[in-house]
Amino acid sequence: MNIEPTELEKAVLLKVTGRMDAENAHEFETACDRWITHGTKHLIADLDGLQYVSSMGLRSFLAVAQKLQSTSGSLILCGLHGLPLQVFEMTRLIGLFPVFETSQQALATL
Amino acid sequence: MDPPVERLILPASAGSISALSEFVRGGAVAAGIAENELAKLDLVLEEILINVARYAYTPGTGAVEVAYAQAGPCKLHVEIADYGRIFNPLTADPPDLSRGLADRPIGGLGVFLVKSMVDSIAYRREGDQNILSFKFPLEGAAGDD
Repeated sequence: MNIEPTELEKAVLLKVTGRMDAENAHEFETACDRWITHGTKHLIADLDGLQYVSSMGLRSFLAVAQKLQSTSGSLILCGLHGLPLQVFEMTRLIGLFPVFETSQQALATL
Repeated sequence: MDPPVERLILPASAGSISALSEFVRGGAVAAGIAENELAKLDLVLEEILINVARYAYTPGTGAVEVAYAQAGPCKLHVEIADYGRIFNPLTADPPDLSRGLADRPIGGLGVFLVKSMVDSIAYRREGDQNILSFKFPLEGAAGDD
């Protein structure tokens, strides 16, 4: 898994590519925590290049979203497809996140 | 499990995720798995492996033994065994998927996903082994996209 951050005016965009599993899911949470500590309110996870996520990855997404919610921020998801989209739907986590097709659409709402 | 059966023994840890996947994928591809079902198979294997590592062996470590065989034209029969304490992951309460973000529990989704993605799954204790046995649909479950 690779996480490439871009600092934007109203949010930080994190482009996540590859596979998020039990071995590396904590890296996503750590990367997000760094921005949250930095005062970032809105994180946009661009998941267009994410091919796989297991329950440990879902835990990371949920943990980050819960932290941001407590600071009136949000974790926005975009580009979900394939297995990651399926597991977000099956677990009904999809309804707990703002979800957009593209990061441009997500940014336009902030 | 009907022969021919392929077997592999691995350390029960997250470091074995890719080796476990590669091994079982070999059988799944030979049996004609649909390309878009491979990631689901990976997920099922990972969730079971991580459960064994976290609950059957904690605080120690141990091995998992995986075996597979083709079961009919469109299923792969997989068994994952460990030598840890008696542990049946299938008895866990189902997660409450109706909760909102603030009070949604962070765990409990792994077994739920496994149950959702396999055709049938059963636990048995045999001697000093926990054995989880499941049939994975190679062409996707009914109602899939």
